[in-house]
Amino acid sequence: MKNRLFIIAALWLGAVTWVFPQSAGSGAAIPGATPARASAPSAHRDVVATYCTSCHNERLKTAGLALDRISIDDVAGSAEIWEKVVRKVRGGLMPPAGARRPDARTRDAFVTSIETELDRAWAARPNPGRPLLRRLNRAEYGNAVRDLLAMDVDVAALLPPDDSAYGFDNIADALNVSPALQERYLAAAEKIGELAFGDAEMGMLSETYHVRGDVSQNQHLDGMPLGTIGGTRINHFFPRDGEYVFQTRLFRTNFDNMRGIEYPHEFELTIDGARVHHAAIGGPADLAAAFERPKETADAIDERLGVRIRVSAGPHDVVAAFIGSAPTADATKLRPFLKSAFDTLDWTGRPHVRMLTITGPFNATGSGDTPARQRIFTCRPASQRNEDECARQIVTTLARRAFREPVNETDLQPLLAFYKTGKQEGGFDVGIERALQLILASPKFVFRLERDPANLKPGAVYKVSDFDLASRLSFFLWSSIPDEELLAEASAGRLKNPAVLERQTRRMLADPKAQALVSNFASQWLHLRNLRNVQPHADDFPDFDDNLRQAFRRETELLFESVMRDDRSVVDLLRADYTFVNERLARHYGIPNVYGSQFRRVPVPDEERKGLLGHGSILTLTSHATRTSPVVRGKWILENILGTPPPSPPPDVPTLKENEKGQKPKTMREQMAEHRANPTCASCHKIMDPIGFALENFDAVGAWRTEDAGTPIDASGELTDGTHINGVVALRNAILARPDLFAGTMTEKLLVYALGRGLDHHDMPVVRAILREAAAKDYRFSSLILGIVDSVPFQMRVKMEAQ
Amino acid sequence: MFITRKSLPRRTFLRGVGATVALPLLDAMVPAVTAQSKTAARPLLRFGAVFVPNGAIMEQWIPSTPGIGFEFSPILKPLEAFKDRLVVVSNLTRANPGVVEGDHAISAAGFLTGVYPKRTEAEDVSAGVSVDQLVARQIGQETPFPSLELATADFTGYIGACTSGFSCGYINTISWSSPTTPQPMEFNPRTVFERMFGRPGTPEQRSARRQRNLSVLDEIARQAGDMQRQLGARDRARLDEYLQNVREIERRIQRAAADNSTNVTSVELPVGIPESFEEHVTLMYDLLAVAYQADLTRVATFMTDRELSARTYPQLGVNEQHHTVSHHGNDPKNIAQVAKINTYHSTLFGKFLAKLQATPDGDGSLLDHSLIFYGGGMGNPNQHASDPLPMVAVGGGVGKGHRHVQLAPRTPVGNLWLTVAQKYDSPIARIGESNGTIDFF
Repeated sequence: MKNRLFIIAALWLGAVTWVFPQSAGSGAAIPGATPARASAPSAHRDVVATYCTSCHNERLKTAGLALDRISIDDVAGSAEIWEKVVRKVRGGLMPPAGARRPDARTRDAFVTSIETELDRAWAARPNPGRPLLRRLNRAEYGNAVRDLLAMDVDVAALLPPDDSAYGFDNIADALNVSPALQERYLAAAEKIGELAFGDAEMGMLSETYHVRGDVSQNQHLDGMPLGTIGGTRINHFFPRDGEYVFQTRLFRTNFDNMRGIEYPHEFELTIDGARVHHAAIGGPADLAAAFERPKETADAIDERLGVRIRVSAGPHDVVAAFIGSAPTADATKLRPFLKSAFDTLDWTGRPHVRMLTITGPFNATGSGDTPARQRIFTCRPASQRNEDECARQIVTTLARRAFREPVNETDLQPLLAFYKTGKQEGGFDVGIERALQLILASPKFVFRLERDPANLKPGAVYKVSDFDLASRLSFFLWSSIPDEELLAEASAGRLKNPAVLERQTRRMLADPKAQALVSNFASQWLHLRNLRNVQPHADDFPDFDDNLRQAFRRETELLFESVMRDDRSVVDLLRADYTFVNERLARHYGIPNVYGSQFRRVPVPDEERKGLLGHGSILTLTSHATRTSPVVRGKWILENILGTPPPSPPPDVPTLKENEKGQKPKTMREQMAEHRANPTCASCHKIMDPIGFALENFDAVGAWRTEDAGTPIDASGELTDGTHINGVVALRNAILARPDLFAGTMTEKLLVYALGRGLDHHDMPVVRAILREAAAKDYRFSSLILGIVDSVPFQMRVKMEAQ
Repeated sequence: MFITRKSLPRRTFLRGVGATVALPLLDAMVPAVTAQSKTAARPLLRFGAVFVPNGAIMEQWIPSTPGIGFEFSPILKPLEAFKDRLVVVSNLTRANPGVVEGDHAISAAGFLTGVYPKRTEAEDVSAGVSVDQLVARQIGQETPFPSLELATADFTGYIGACTSGFSCGYINTISWSSPTTPQPMEFNPRTVFERMFGRPGTPEQRSARRQRNLSVLDEIARQAGDMQRQLGARDRARLDEYLQNVREIERRIQRAAADNSTNVTSVELPVGIPESFEEHVTLMYDLLAVAYQADLTRVATFMTDRELSARTYPQLGVNEQHHTVSHHGNDPKNIAQVAKINTYHSTLFGKFLAKLQATPDGDGSLLDHSLIFYGGGMGNPNQHASDPLPMVAVGGGVGKGHRHVQLAPRTPVGNLWLTVAQKYDSPIARIGESNGTIDFF
């Protein structure tokens, strides 16, 4: 008895876990779609007394909860507790397995009526949550500069990464300020100003672009021009008209062997598609020389790739690659998908571009006519007399966009003063540049400040201004500043009009800039950013290279993007019968007849591959370097798909032992049986492990397999409600049986991302309201987004205390 | 402070794959820096703290005998060359001895603060002021940078890979300027370089740039002040912090402008983040050594890697991820692998010490005028042990060397830091869970 109580308590400790529900309802399980007046409280009292208070009473206080001490007649008075109760009961988590449980009807009626009460109480006093002062994070700063100045800057080089909370790096209170950070923002403002204007004072700059060592360059690469093999492609911003040195360097082993030099290869450098340099390397002469003097020969070959050319200012597409259409090298020593091993002596394969350095300008002739300058100079002074007038126009336009609201004389004065100083120093352009530098460094640009109206009392809840709403919307959907159209609607005072707001939201979702939802929201929600650090062990996965890593990421991004662009049901993320692959990935998945490096949409031939659970990205980033991890996979699904993260593991957890030589290898499942030996472990692992085991047919890099360590894969398991599943398809179906759980998880994640803060019980009525609306629209992507945009926390704010 | 050295080879050169590259134009930005310390009345005692993650195999760290003239343990063997300037401190514990919940977060956040940080995954992080910052309050204001915080891991690729229940913020840094202000760590060598030495240009350009930045700072301080008046209390506090930082940056720029030393040393501008861990760590150590040498800072912290690091060390034959293998399950094979990683980290640290020893500073070497701690916030990683912690002190600041100071079991690490802070005349009376000082110096 004591032991059983312990297990139950251990389950509760984790606050939230998830159990597959017994009754697989559909979307109809959504609470309070048409809130009826709550049924008789006495019935609920009975439910609580029958199923809850035998553990959760004043005496035992299991999990610190005493439900006999709070009144069910006043649900709203203990909203925080009841929100926890309904989450657990609705998810089928409570009462726990083995205890007496109500039937599905009783359970749903109970939960629905409590939720209805909670929602009603909330609606009477809507609470938008704490007001926040948000700083632009690194991605937002970069996008804002792009939209303000028509210039892509390498923001990762300019600014430090941001701390994250709740899984996202745009959480207001996690975005700290420190001297080091502010110094970087100050330096960034200066550098961006100089680049945008082609300021001569920059002098020469040198940028080196590295190619990751684990990129295979034996074939054509995704995104490269046709007819090239390997190489790299960059969009480089040339600050001024002038000459630039392009120095490509090839990969060499630490014994200075260059790959591929036994055969001749043709190197080509192109700028905007036009050949500017050509060099022949490899062949008998180079090979013979390399035998004699490897380092000198390699240096000489690199030197042949260098060139100095005149380039006009602005962004240009630079490609350094080899020409050819098919692999020519003898591939016997390399695996079919050709890993660029760091073998110190091997020179087979093809030459690999290691880095490209662009240095200049030399003999600069001027600032040229870049898109940035065109964007900035909305007027050109006809004569010196008009300069100040024109400057005022330019600075006003820039400041309005950067500050995301109309600017007044007080805002303009310091900017114009900077302009004047600069003009005296170096003329009109320099004056504008100084003003721009101040704009970019200004707290009005860097912070998203929302001013409370003076005439309200502290604590009052009010709708934010049109301009603040425009910013909230554009930073949510674009991770950037509002565009002209959005600002115009805000100026006209129309943005709060629901029809206008919806039209704007849909327009913005259709805009290419909504790609930010993929690169910032989806990549963090699904942990795709972690792929960068994933390094499957080369002995076990010799074919794994960066090409596959990139393909993984791309596939998941493209699936998310297609759901967003085509406004499909978000549930399709789990069940889509199509996906996106290139040849590399198709081979990995065993999809036939896909050739070439470019991605295309293809039908998914196997049930097992459908949706996120069959994506190599997810399967790899939830694995260890040498093996799969059913636990990590189970945990990932609980957290990110089902919204019920398991509690932290207890300390003193030994790792699974590697198979010893000479011993009969243990399968993963045999090794994991250790979890069941310890009741503390078992309480959570019996929830996580079966989910992970269902994915065991996918190895640590997401390839399909039917055996592990010589033993056939056993992907069967029992979910906590007793449902038997076997393999990924059954798992997926179990998840799809409750689309509201997945859609709810995604809504919560989106809401965290949109609001820049964590959610608490005040936000649950909001989530339920969004889900109710979205369920009626089959959880279309736009229904979630519009629901959030329409919500109280998105549109409203609490006036802060003055002190 | 900055003079241009024209004598650097015009040809670009490359030192190994992914190494630092110096390019012709960069000659102009190679700064000439100097150590000022020799002009000081007494030699400066630089402070440093180098952090290693995921605990250590303590049986191979702690020397078998206490007292003077101990025999070096396998992990510390690479530091033997500096034995006369080295003290091993054993039996320290992080806060809440015996409690292992929060483990990795506390290992990092508690390392220099001696506290058990607030359990939160949200933004309301709270630890304590770290000893480096306490020291920086005493000796930091005389240099352009009160302190430098360096690391190697870009933490953006580790979503969800933090300690459950504790914010990722706790393991992204070991330095805290206030209990609620983690100091961000910089991991890009190029950025560190540019922060330290500024951007390229002639002395006139540099000076003009400084003046411009000062007027920008003036103006944004004014704007932030205006904004503050329109805000509620919480936002105002946030902007207040912002304003203080603006003043700090102003001070730094003025400081750099006032500095007109002449002695020459040079470092190359790093191109970015090296792909190899060893080169990355070495480069950060190099920059740190130059920062000390040039008196750009006297206080520094360096995280050689982050807690929970998933790094593999194929060059050592360690194919399991560091964190995974650190849960060694008492398997001798795993223990050997972890010890290899621990020893490798000490080897890299030893190279840094060699550099400090080879750098003249006043009447001795930089090493003579330093007090550098090397260790971590976790003992045996298998069970996330709160004690004994790995800890070594090196440099002239340790007093008599070749000592193994064996403390009473479970002496709070705060006691060590309190002792150190007081050596730097800090008025602080308590650090974390400290209950006294230790007999160290």
